Amino acid sequence: MKKKTNIKLYFLALLPFLIVVFLYEILPLLMMILSSFRSEVDKSILFTLDNYITAFTRLAYQRAIINSLKVTGISAFFGIVIGFIGAQAFHNSTGKIKNVFLTILNMVSNFAGVPLAFAYMIILGNSGVIIQFAKTYGLTALANFDLYTSTGLNLMYIYFQIPLATLLLVPAFYGIRQEWKEANLLLNGNGFTFWTKVGIPVLLPSIFGTLSVLFANALAAYATAYALLMNNYSLLAINITGMFTGDMTTRPHLGAALSVVMMLLMLAAILINNFINRQTSKWRWR
Amino acid sequence: MSYIVFENVNKYFGTNHVLQDINLEVEKGQLVTLLGPSGCGKSTLLRCLAGLELVSSGKVYLDGKDITDDSARNRGIGMVFQQYSLFPNLSVFQNVAYGLKQKKMPKAQIEKKVKQILALVGLEEKINQYPSQLSGGQQQRVALARAIVTEPKVLLLDEPLSAIDALLRRNLQIEIRRIQKELNITTIFVTHDQDEAMVLSDMIHLFNEGFIEQSGTVTELYARPRTKFAATFIGNYTILPAADFSRACGETLTCQDVAIRPEIVRLSYTPNLDQDRFHLQGVITNSIFHGNIIRYNILCGDISINADVVYESGMPYINGETVFLAIKKEEIIEL
Amino acid sequence: MKPKIWSTLIIIIIIIYLLTPLVATATYSMFQKWTDIVPEGFTLKHYGDLLSNQAFMRSLGRTILVCIIPILITVTITLLALFVVTVYFPKLEKYVQILCMIPYTIQGVILSVSILSLYSGSRSFLGIRQVMLFGAYCIIILPYIYQGIRNSMHSINMPMLIEAAEMLGSSKLEAFIRIIVPNIISGITVSSLLAVGIIFGDYVIIRNITGSSFQNVQIFLFLAMKRSSTEASAVFVIIMLTTFLITALVLYVQSRDNRQKTESKGR
Ligand SMILES: Nc1ncnc2c1ncn2[C@@H]1O[C@H](COP(=O)(O)OP(=O)(O)OP(=O)(O)O)[C@@H](O)[C@H]1O
Ligand SMILES: [Mg+2]
Repeated sequence: MKKKTNIKLYFLALLPFLIVVFLYEILPLLMMILSSFRSEVDKSILFTLDNYITAFTRLAYQRAIINSLKVTGISAFFGIVIGFIGAQAFHNSTGKIKNVFLTILNMVSNFAGVPLAFAYMIILGNSGVIIQFAKTYGLTALANFDLYTSTGLNLMYIYFQIPLATLLLVPAFYGIRQEWKEANLLLNGNGFTFWTKVGIPVLLPSIFGTLSVLFANALAAYATAYALLMNNYSLLAINITGMFTGDMTTRPHLGAALSVVMMLLMLAAILINNFINRQTSKWRWR
Repeated sequence: MSYIVFENVNKYFGTNHVLQDINLEVEKGQLVTLLGPSGCGKSTLLRCLAGLELVSSGKVYLDGKDITDDSARNRGIGMVFQQYSLFPNLSVFQNVAYGLKQKKMPKAQIEKKVKQILALVGLEEKINQYPSQLSGGQQQRVALARAIVTEPKVLLLDEPLSAIDALLRRNLQIEIRRIQKELNITTIFVTHDQDEAMVLSDMIHLFNEGFIEQSGTVTELYARPRTKFAATFIGNYTILPAADFSRACGETLTCQDVAIRPEIVRLSYTPNLDQDRFHLQGVITNSIFHGNIIRYNILCGDISINADVVYESGMPYINGETVFLAIKKEEIIEL
Repeated sequence: MKPKIWSTLIIIIIIIYLLTPLVATATYSMFQKWTDIVPEGFTLKHYGDLLSNQAFMRSLGRTILVCIIPILITVTITLLALFVVTVYFPKLEKYVQILCMIPYTIQGVILSVSILSLYSGSRSFLGIRQVMLFGAYCIIILPYIYQGIRNSMHSINMPMLIEAAEMLGSSKLEAFIRIIVPNIISGITVSSLLAVGIIFGDYVIIRNITGSSFQNVQIFLFLAMKRSSTEASAVFVIIMLTTFLITALVLYVQSRDNRQKTESKGR
């Protein structure tokens, strides 16, 4: 008897967590998914795929999806390459510079969104500091650089991916053992053979894990792009927000469908990463 | 009634019947060990007494009182765990004082008692250190101090020394026994190490897969194992099917298995014809020195028997030599 | 020797690349004019104006408020939930984990619009914008708080420590508060600071849920950007300094923790 009441008491301690999660995570998510199947024009239709069809066939939304994937892909690619080089340099160097580098990476990893867009406008905007220099010194190519385009957007996304990618890859390099490099040398290998035959394969799971984080990070980014381009550029995050809060008539059900598409992309990135981890866990040591 | 009584105690984890109808009694002031292989339910029985697990059925009595449904904090039992369980955020003093504070003892008295008990375990000078600054052995001594400072009715020790290296372990065993006798505290000690059980106990309960295989004093268990399991677990018995042994010695036995302690096997180059002994002939296949004792392995036809011989002087037997074995009939244990 | 020079060079290039926008904008905020290589007219006027600007100070206060309350809520409910689950219902642990990791796949945009469309029509307290905002923040920081608490709980043997305290006469809850919480407090601190960083840097959630009626510093910066770039550059510097301060605190607590751990291992 006594034990039963205790069990109830313990559930009571779990309750606040469950309430908050239910009210602000599960229920909104569920309603969002249900809402994505409701018709935008006829309130009485509770299940239709119209929104999804619109999302994938209308040029405007197609472009949003494609643009989002493009900037995500480009920034993730450059992020991972530069992050890899940075992490390797970190791994190969010694002394104080390592700490300085790590501290700066940590600091800058929070530098995104509105402040980032603003800083880029200050240096590369129409009357930005660097643009002014270029004009004064006749560097026309640079002087004509236009930040308010997809190129500018890519530049900013790459910027915020680099510290994140480097920070996530640095621990992975601890897995590369000195003995392997020595063994490689004894077997007549050089640096190139080492990295292609051993180094990168060993790091592969970390690389994919990092890529999946970068992907999610870029796909969900909103403030950076909005602060720079407002509603003038089509991106999933911007379109979705616009459909719920825009000045024009809101289109919540279509927005819900686009949200579901975005979540599925996110989920795909995570699942692919999990799958690769499982494939490589056979030869990974723990 | 004994001081501690388990009465028909059963414990299930799901469908896993971990304790099967346990009946066990412990007298006041004794140190008993629960000995048995890993996973046989020793910890579970201890935890049922401590109140950290509830029994599925049966009763537990302590000092004449039914404590089956009492919660752990009200049973007045002290416990030392297998892993290091000191509170990392508290100093040695605060750790030991924890239980006393819980009892709302006045400050001055707490201080006095803590110092006393730390002196007993030989760690007075570590009083202000933190657990992470102590060695494993020191941590377990503080844990012991913490468990006994509140003067519990029973002290439970669940393999407290299993993470400690051999030499230190022996010292701590002796120390635990000394403290237990000094405070005359009823103690249950869990171990899977037969040597440890023999050094410490007044009484050993041998566990096997959830039931008590055999209970007795150290000598009883050593000299008279009642089952094959007991014989395998304690001592260095050679256990053979009786039929094989009969064939080798030419005499018939009625039991199922025989257990032969290696120290009762006599070896010689010439046959010995005493009527009260079994006689066998075999070839030495292996010999190992254990200090001043040589353990020979002898192949007698298709059975293999161990014999311990005290090394005195002269040449020991060498591998490949043929020897005669004589084994006192009354010393053979029939299972 | 050779690869080391290369590495140092690469690190320096990356550092310069990363710091350029920051340093340039900070410099910009302290000068009147910057059209040639060297900026002209050093001044702290922008900061003076900003700090005497009521609207800015209010937005700063609001940001602090919306940081503290959701973090307190999330830390408390997660602690309680993880305590109950690890001690009494270990089988539920993986479900709690899933619930805690979902927000990571939703992220700010979707979370904010889904909460908005669900509750904006409600007449109960659920429809109050600030309540919705706190709810959204609680969820968005949940993965980080959860991981911080769980990792530090796993680094101590929590069930055993609680049992040890019970044997000495404590109740489970008392043991949790007196023994477990002090031992995981640095993990809680680190994840709370990370959460401060996330909420401090949030623009999309607060904009979507409360519009510009309830400004935090990010929205203030966004609006200032449209008004005057010198004013905005001062706001920018204050935001970045705060962010760095938070990061520095995280690094400090983590390194102190690691030092303690290696010290105890060295024994
Ligand atoms: N909390 C639990 N839930 C489910 N099964 C358990 C639990 N605790 C113990 N068991 C099971 O009960 C059996 C006995 O476990 P117990 O810990 O008592 O063994 P033990 O004799 O102490 O072994 P060891 O020497 O390894 O400590 C084991 O099969 C174990 O898997
Ligand atoms: Mg055990």
